[in-house]
Amino acid sequence: MRVRVRAVAVGVAVVLVGLAVVLALNVGRDPRADANRSQLLGQPSPTYDLETLDGAPVSDESQIGRTVVVNFWNSWCIPCEQEHDALVAWWAANRDDDAVTMLGIVREDTRRAVERYVRDEDVTWPVAMDPGGRAALAFGTRGQPETYVISPSGVVVASQYGPVTVANLDDMVAAAERVG
Amino acid sequence: MESAIGVLAIAIGAGASIVGIASLLLGLRRSDDRLLATGRRCVLAVLLASILAVGVMEWALITHDFSIRYVAENNARSTPLLFTVTGLWAALEGSILLWVLILAVYIALTVRHFRDRASEPLVVWATIVMLGVSLFFFLLVLGPANPFELTPGGAPVDGRGPNPLLQNHPLMAFHPPMLYLGYVGFTVPFAFAMASLITGSVGEGWLADTRRTTLVAWGFLSLGIVLGAWWSYEVLGWGGYWAWDPVENASLLPWLTATAFIHSVMVQERRAMLRVWNLSLVIATFCLTILGTFLTRSGVVNSVHAFSQSSIGGWLLAFLALSAGSGLALIAWRGDRLRAPGRIDSALSREAFFLGNNLLFVAFAFVVLLGTVFPLIAEAVQGTQLSVGEPYFDRMTVPLGLALLFLMAVAPVLPWRAASGEVLRRRLLVPAWIGGALFVATLVFLARSLPTALAFGLGAFTISAIVQETWRTVRARSRADAVGRGRAAWRTLASNPRRYGGLTVHIGVVCIAVAIAASNTFATKAEIRLRRDASVTVDGYRFTYEGSRTTRSAQKTTVSADVRIERGDRDLGTYAPSVSTFPNSNQAIGTPSVRTGLTTDVYLTLVSSPNARGRITLGVSVFPLVVWIWIGGALIGLGTAVALVPARTRRVLPESTPAPVEEPV
Amino acid sequence: MADTSTARNRIAWIVLAVLVLGAVAFSLWPRPGADSVAGRTRSLAREFRCVDCEGLSVADSQTASARAARVEIRRRLEAGESEAEVRAYFVDLYGESVLLKPEGTGIGLVVWALPVVAVILAGAGIVVAVRRGRRTPRLRATDEDEALVARALGAEHGTDDRADDGDER
Repeated sequence: MRVRVRAVAVGVAVVLVGLAVVLALNVGRDPRADANRSQLLGQPSPTYDLETLDGAPVSDESQIGRTVVVNFWNSWCIPCEQEHDALVAWWAANRDDDAVTMLGIVREDTRRAVERYVRDEDVTWPVAMDPGGRAALAFGTRGQPETYVISPSGVVVASQYGPVTVANLDDMVAAAERVG
Repeated sequence: MESAIGVLAIAIGAGASIVGIASLLLGLRRSDDRLLATGRRCVLAVLLASILAVGVMEWALITHDFSIRYVAENNARSTPLLFTVTGLWAALEGSILLWVLILAVYIALTVRHFRDRASEPLVVWATIVMLGVSLFFFLLVLGPANPFELTPGGAPVDGRGPNPLLQNHPLMAFHPPMLYLGYVGFTVPFAFAMASLITGSVGEGWLADTRRTTLVAWGFLSLGIVLGAWWSYEVLGWGGYWAWDPVENASLLPWLTATAFIHSVMVQERRAMLRVWNLSLVIATFCLTILGTFLTRSGVVNSVHAFSQSSIGGWLLAFLALSAGSGLALIAWRGDRLRAPGRIDSALSREAFFLGNNLLFVAFAFVVLLGTVFPLIAEAVQGTQLSVGEPYFDRMTVPLGLALLFLMAVAPVLPWRAASGEVLRRRLLVPAWIGGALFVATLVFLARSLPTALAFGLGAFTISAIVQETWRTVRARSRADAVGRGRAAWRTLASNPRRYGGLTVHIGVVCIAVAIAASNTFATKAEIRLRRDASVTVDGYRFTYEGSRTTRSAQKTTVSADVRIERGDRDLGTYAPSVSTFPNSNQAIGTPSVRTGLTTDVYLTLVSSPNARGRITLGVSVFPLVVWIWIGGALIGLGTAVALVPARTRRVLPESTPAPVEEPV
Repeated sequence: MADTSTARNRIAWIVLAVLVLGAVAFSLWPRPGADSVAGRTRSLAREFRCVDCEGLSVADSQTASARAARVEIRRRLEAGESEAEVRAYFVDLYGESVLLKPEGTGIGLVVWALPVVAVILAGAGIVVAVRRGRRTPRLRATDEDEALVARALGAEHGTDDRADDGDER
């Protein structure tokens, strides 16, 4: 009897130590960190077929041949506001470069709010609504802002969850241009 | 100023815990009653210090003293008084402070209760363990979770205010304190279990000593869980009350092991068996409360309710390791003394069914624990990202729950030691037929869902068995005492409140099980778009949109839509689901409006406020029987309270000694 | 007299068992016609995590992304895809963590099998222990135990433990 109690106690202890190690490994780690790595990297660009606020059609096929920065955003999200200046600065530096372009796709917002934001906040790059959220789904987005960079040949080369900076936009675009 | 007093109070509490532990240890060693008395006075100091700390924090909240960071982050000038007061448990640091206060109250009450046995080693050691736990929590609020930290850069003009979800419903005032009253209460049986292992008095003494506290803690935890489900239903707006979220699981885990304990403890009381098992259950329950706190407070799992990350995780994990490790070591050390003198005589006996009950409850806890931490394990072992959610938990726990329902129907009718199959077949025939009939009727007429039909059938089986048994007892007592049925019923109850309290809890559990099955199987969900004054009918209910209103206060801006609900010719009134925006948050918070009925709830959410053309989108759900979950929760609370009442002995009755009454077990 | 009532009791139980088993068979009988697409969409939507909410499934959430996912599930089912194909689509898009119910392969098998194995082992252990207990002679409580119980019961104010559960006679 005595031996059995001890044996069971030791067994339980081993399991608990294992559990404790697993838990300890996770202390201080953001549980979402890895979940937010895009599954699309290296894959062909998801298809999308949208219309910009000006009424121009835009799709994955129409963008082939250029590096495309696809930025999912909306007017109410605070991290989107945080990256706004970076987007404006990057666009100012690159808008005349025919080899790259940027497309803002609206995630979970109303057209009215978006149009007001575009007018008030100097959004001069093309912005498209995403009726039914199909493009957001096709990219596997989990929130906003999310940014994907697609190479001229139509491969998803880089992605960023959360606000971008000018430097990491440049890095992602450079990577896409290397892929070609 | 307040900050300094608060920190001082906490430091005094921590110091008093240390002094208390030291003088109790020394007093025990030298058999010095004066030192022991000093130790007990330290308990009083701990209580006063924690009351002072909580008082200072509440004062700081009410006076909007934003120089304290916690107040600045969880309160604003516009926060209504109720949510200012509940701000104490709106975030990590404050909720640990509440934990400290509740712990101090439990310790003080326990020490007071045992004042006549104060120098008994069992009691002294239990006090030492409890003070050890309180020392740990005082250190938490002194170090990594200090609620009195000053706002860097001085007091802002206004604070940020509590998380919108936590200032949206008055249930916030009740749900967390209830949960903590439950969580923390398990410290007392844990302390006595450890003390009995340390002192080697591993008999049944510690059980009897802590039975009531365990029951009190269990009752509060049950209420806390049900209130949490209710809060979720009334506030979160997705129409559910349980999502198998890690935080919900964390509250369920100790509840499951504690429930197992409450049953198996009866086997030890009656038959002196299962000692190791019961000690393990008590220690496990305490460890699971700490594990739950760790999971939800350290940010290792994703959850709606999880507070922001902090360094507290490592501390909690270390404390968890210490508690579980010392508990296990003590059990292994005392294993030789713990041999069970009793044995199970028959599979058809109360104790055998309690064993089955324990197996199922512990398996339930295991499934919940495994599912909750499995994503972390998979990640650590293989680096793969996995989720474990509702479909997994439903698939695994529904069979366990149904098996438990079955045991619940049969066990209260069973005697200890051994039953005759013959008697049992007679006693259970009518309840089994009632349950069987409902089972068959459900499958044939309502839904081809086996789990639902089983929940209904077993529920009816359980309740009719309880009613029949109680009725038999009352009738026998009425004959034996030659009194009317009413008096006989009262005497039956008074003679054994523990049994009838327990059975009341069982009825509450059946209500909850049936309501869960019904609301899952027979729910109707729809989304409707409505112009003003237009109506749509869903599941026999007619919804008319009568216009919307916007109300602004400093706390929030709310858009609500007035929707009239009619069923046939009956007007059920106007309900106003709403969406609120809070100045401190960018996300709109929807508030459902629920028409609660005894048979059906109509649950309205405002999916989108009036658009340019004045159309709204409404989420409409019709859930049957949901209210019975809350009624069941109330019955559980009532039953627990009844079970706590000391039994009235029959010896005080005048006249001749009553003939022995055939009382069913 | 007693014999007839015992026989009647037995018949009542048999009839009940037959009725219950019949109802079970009836409920398990395959129904003509497959489930509707709407029903299949709903049950499949419960298996996917809503990626931008916390702890809710695609079926329960009202965010636009959950709505889009529901539409996509329905579209794919209508196009004739199987449940497994729809699952594969979402896994490709978001990784395995999108499934709320881990697949029963690889490490996911553990989370399904471990509780079942544990319950079977524990149940078998209990049966063995009880059997062995019944073979060994009954142990007597030591005097120390008796004293402890007596003290414990004494401390319980009153006699609720004694009054508790009068033994079956």
